[in-house]
Amino acid sequence: MTSAASSASSLPYTTAALPTIALVGHPNVGKSVLFHRLTGTYVNVSNYPGTTVEVARAPARFDRTHSLLDTPGVLALPSRSDDERATVRALLNETIKVVVQVGDAKNLRRTLNLTALLAELGVPMAMALNMTDEAQARGVTVDTAALANALAIPVVATVATGGSGVGTLTDALSGARVPAALLKYDDELETHIDQLTRQIETHTPHPVLAARGLAILLLGGDSEVAHWIAQQPGHAAIDAALATLLPPGTGRDTLPARLARERSRAAEALARTVSQQALGKDRTLSLLAGQLAVHRIWGWPLLLVVLYLVYLFVGDFGAGTLVGLLEEDFFGEILNPAVTALVQAHVTVPWLADLLVGDYGLWTMGMTYALALILPIVTTFFLAFGILEDSGYFTRLSVIANRMFAAIGLNGRAVLPMVLGLGCVTMATLTTRILHTPRERLITTFLMALAIPCSAQLGVVLGLLGGISFGATLIWLVSMVVILLATGWLAGKLVSGRRVPLLTELPPMRMPLIGNVLKKTGGRLKWYLMEVIPLFLIGTLIMFVLDRTGALPWLIEAGKPLVTGWLGLPPEASAAFVMGFLRRDFGATGLFALESQLSMVQAVVGMVTITLFVPCIASVMMIVKEQGLRTTALMLAMIMPTAFLVGGLLNHTLRLFF
Amino acid sequence: MNTQAARIRLTGTPVGRRVRLADFGDEVSPLQREQLHAYGMSPPHDIRVLQQQPMTVVLCDHIELALEHEIAHGIWVTES
Repeated sequence: MTSAASSASSLPYTTAALPTIALVGHPNVGKSVLFHRLTGTYVNVSNYPGTTVEVARAPARFDRTHSLLDTPGVLALPSRSDDERATVRALLNETIKVVVQVGDAKNLRRTLNLTALLAELGVPMAMALNMTDEAQARGVTVDTAALANALAIPVVATVATGGSGVGTLTDALSGARVPAALLKYDDELETHIDQLTRQIETHTPHPVLAARGLAILLLGGDSEVAHWIAQQPGHAAIDAALATLLPPGTGRDTLPARLARERSRAAEALARTVSQQALGKDRTLSLLAGQLAVHRIWGWPLLLVVLYLVYLFVGDFGAGTLVGLLEEDFFGEILNPAVTALVQAHVTVPWLADLLVGDYGLWTMGMTYALALILPIVTTFFLAFGILEDSGYFTRLSVIANRMFAAIGLNGRAVLPMVLGLGCVTMATLTTRILHTPRERLITTFLMALAIPCSAQLGVVLGLLGGISFGATLIWLVSMVVILLATGWLAGKLVSGRRVPLLTELPPMRMPLIGNVLKKTGGRLKWYLMEVIPLFLIGTLIMFVLDRTGALPWLIEAGKPLVTGWLGLPPEASAAFVMGFLRRDFGATGLFALESQLSMVQAVVGMVTITLFVPCIASVMMIVKEQGLRTTALMLAMIMPTAFLVGGLLNHTLRLFF
Repeated sequence: MNTQAARIRLTGTPVGRRVRLADFGDEVSPLQREQLHAYGMSPPHDIRVLQQQPMTVVLCDHIELALEHEIAHGIWVTES
């Protein structure tokens, strides 16, 4: 699933024909909402940092001769993480006409910290001081006129979610100007910045960005700027200049730390002069709710309540009531008999009729699985998921899960991609970019490929096991957590590198906007219908061909020792595993269709094995993109034997008790 | 007054207390130091301690930050 739900284009962004207005700012300050307001193009918007991990582009609604760029949030510049590097790459490679810094009005000091660096880039700027409603609720007032005067750029107060101030912002863009510098660094730093600036101006000038800004980023250790300079013909002179400058320093006095410290001081000084905080207004309901969610005692019962509500909505209502209405009543009683009669009346070639409405028919199997079984489940799941992600709850899971993740060599930040993986593992693999080290990204990607079921698969699991008993669902859940922790522990020992302790921002708890939740659900369902239905039809066609050629009975026979002997499943379950090669949820649905033939133990073993089975084709392609072909092949080589090994062990263990 | 003696580690600060950031110890890595500055956690700014378990959670301006004890232990604060 892409983060852009409509026609916003993602990378590559180096061939822009139109002059570009770039939205730049911290994570979770409303850049994507503003992008939607300014272009009419919806990109995924959520209440946590890291929603946007790639650059999105669309023509500006107010001026079709300009395009707008939505960039991933930057905690700070110079860039340190993949999403920050993506933003710096965009600044380096685009023909940027204006930078609109989207700032958080309630955290002006932090906003200005970033302004202090952006101002050095020599690009005309305007500032959208967003979330002024939240600032007001917290007793923060900002004198935007004084701020605009100090920065010498237009500053417009906005509430992007409600559209307030957006019109004024578009009008103000024509007045965008290169900002006044916020600070002068100490003499020693300034000397070296000046020297490097002169070298860049002479040997590797940038067509848009000011040499001084590049020099500061380079001294701060920005790898993207270093990479860009290395590609320029005159880069040797810059390398030589860098070698003669300040030593990098150690401990608290590294060069990047000194530069960051000075920018912080300048931001603090300016923020103090243009903003005020009313006393006693920093205890809000949002803050109290947020504290409850990460409370060392109450956090866990709250998590269980949330999980149980999701189970009721998705497993009981979606997979039970809605699937019953659609699959049994509508498809089973009305639609499928009508389609079958129609096909049999008009299609005279027996094999063709069979291909359409037979046991492995494109309609009776492929479309019925996709529309009657999985669609209601993923719809309820996406709704629940959208509400939770917009509430700000997901990020708080990183706090309560941190200790558990420390045991497997990760920190709680890895929770976010994993939770997102419950929606779509493919997209979540891309989100691993928010993690700070290659080691964290590798381990998290592997664990998601192995043990995180996507929404469709999770829904089928909840539907099948929930229909048997809550206990069966619990055994599946505990099994998956144990496998996740055990495999993670092993991976943490095998993958070299040091664990990074957690330092993360917790976004404010907010009441989800129903319009945004519905928009996201609509976008995700569109993706589902476009990606899943063709694959389900291809899978059905493969099953049809295997059945017709006699290969399927042979495969079922060949798989007997493993499927029947080791896993203890009925022989027909082999077909589900064949289907699982295409998509795990397709295989899980195959097991769901065998529901009446499965005992509780067989259902749990089948679902655990298929959950651990190979990830879907789209996920594999994404893992190849992010981790390389060799690593992906290694992962797949480990995942499949693990699935059958765990499934068999679980089968033999459960049979001792049930 | 002995200001050195008045400094305590952030992990030792009672929940609910408003304190002033004094310094980062050497155990806070340069990258973490940059991140802390980026979040606005720069001496001598005031912060409020919201929780100490399972992690240290502080309110810096209006940003809630969760810090693992390993990092919070390296942050020195004084009374606000």
